[in-house]
Amino acid sequence: MVGVVMFAIIIFIAVFGRLLWPVDPLRVDILGSLLPPSLEHPMGTDDVGRDVFARFIQGAQVSIGVAIGVTIAGTLIGGTLGLLAGLVGGWFDTIVSRTMDAILAFPPLILAMAVAIGLGPGIVSAALGVILAAIPWYFRLLRSEVLRLRTLMYVESAQALGASSFRLIRLHILPQTTSTIFIQASSVFSFSILTLAALGFVGLGIQPPTPEWGTMITEGLAYALTGQWWLGFFPGLGIFMLAVSANLIADRLRDIYDPKSGARLSL
Amino acid sequence: MINFLLARIGSAIITIFGASILAFVILRAVPTNPARLIAGPFANDEVIAQVTSQLGLDKPLFVQYFDYIVSFFAGDWGFSYSAGQPVLSQIVQRLPASAELALYAFLFAFIGAVFVTVLVSFLASKWLDRLLRLLSFISVGVPPFWLALLFLMVFFEQLGWFPGPVGRGPAPGSVHTGLFTIDYLIAGNFSGFATALHHLALPALALALGPFGYLVRLLRANLLDIVNEPFVTVLHAKGVAPVSTHFQHILPNAFLPTLTAGGLILAQLLGGSVLVERIFVWPGIGTLVIDGILRQDYAVVQAFIMLSAIIYIGVNLLVDILYGYVDPRVRRS
Repeated sequence: MVGVVMFAIIIFIAVFGRLLWPVDPLRVDILGSLLPPSLEHPMGTDDVGRDVFARFIQGAQVSIGVAIGVTIAGTLIGGTLGLLAGLVGGWFDTIVSRTMDAILAFPPLILAMAVAIGLGPGIVSAALGVILAAIPWYFRLLRSEVLRLRTLMYVESAQALGASSFRLIRLHILPQTTSTIFIQASSVFSFSILTLAALGFVGLGIQPPTPEWGTMITEGLAYALTGQWWLGFFPGLGIFMLAVSANLIADRLRDIYDPKSGARLSL
Repeated sequence: MINFLLARIGSAIITIFGASILAFVILRAVPTNPARLIAGPFANDEVIAQVTSQLGLDKPLFVQYFDYIVSFFAGDWGFSYSAGQPVLSQIVQRLPASAELALYAFLFAFIGAVFVTVLVSFLASKWLDRLLRLLSFISVGVPPFWLALLFLMVFFEQLGWFPGPVGRGPAPGSVHTGLFTIDYLIAGNFSGFATALHHLALPALALALGPFGYLVRLLRANLLDIVNEPFVTVLHAKGVAPVSTHFQHILPNAFLPTLTAGGLILAQLLGGSVLVERIFVWPGIGTLVIDGILRQDYAVVQAFIMLSAIIYIGVNLLVDILYGYVDPRVRRS
């Protein structure tokens, strides 16, 4: 419940923020720089007088937009590969599984960093890095689901009746895995929010002047200890709320779909 | 056991091989010509061609890969032109600072998680359990660099309880391990030890929160699984005191699966140190990596990426072997 509310607030800000707060996030106003939060500037202004709340809104749009894209791409690519590997087996399975092992050999954040460096800093390469890190998780999940479901009686009988692989996946296997995919997707969403912010923080994300939460924290670093706390505080709060709420939702979904873990709820 | 060991080591070596190919492919995708970066913006074509052949960039890709692997394992990790130093010696210099930070972060996370989780499960209070769950979600979702910033703003700027972003503090006179706290203890200098710990506290706590969250989640799930096992009911029925049931029978069983989190926690510490060190101006590898990124001096970053993959695979291998050693069922499967 807390998760859903928190999530809804941030989504609302991202979607309707520009309409309700039509301030240009890039408008510079040197005379009004580093103003503390007030009614005129709910999150204060930054070192060149840009409105932090307007930048926060655009940062939310960037973060959520990219994270949704990353989650969908990861699900499609990793999921398809996992389904195929589980169904086809043989050398295809071996090759793809080995590739996934190689990807998993890197700590996720560091892999995303490597891709962002390899392709040149920017939001596209950062997103590609996060997608690459997320693919093996879907792959493993769906591959093992397929292997498990294939041995079930109703799938075997469908196969014996001459159902094609495509029909097997579409009608008998995929519907059984949707809840697992949704749970995984909300965790991956949270992971992408955190990782994109981290990449922005180290200078590998979206390039200035476009506001992004991680980059905004870096910009606020120089002012954090001179009293201008609002520069770094609010973007971090955004990242935090989004990441935690997505995780809470993932956990709640797990409780609903997996009765075994639901039993664990009560002590 | 021997077969188990050989199989695990074999697959780890294959994984390292695969990871090295992946790293090579990703990092050589660099769209900017590394030769141009090194030669500088004013170099003419002749100089660039010279640097290109010096770096071996004109050879076929598989030869480049082979050179890359051989020189990596020979300890030749390239040259950092912004520092004017070989990458290997830079990393070796910075290693103790990062290692000490990671060590304390791990200790804080582990001790904290075990203490809190065991206490809550022993008290068997539903409200405390909910609180614990929420705490674990919060700690996993906090961006470590933001937390570090908040710590500095509250505990240094506002309250003045801890030192600011000044790194590790004064170095001990004699170097044995490179870890300040240990070196001070060896020298018998307890006030020095306290100072070093004082400087470590905030960055280590900021780094520890993520691993703490993971450990709490894992331990809690394990504890709840074991509490519902029939043997625990039997122990209760026999009239064994709750304290001894909990600490002698439940805890050891719940502890074992926590080992598997070893790799995960290492990944958090490796990635987190890159994010947290910079904020505290900690003279470790994380700061080195970020400086490398900002100056486009990627030799350091590339070495760090490959190195962390190898450490990560190594730790996962170690965890597997340890697990197989303590739990015979794993060995047979």
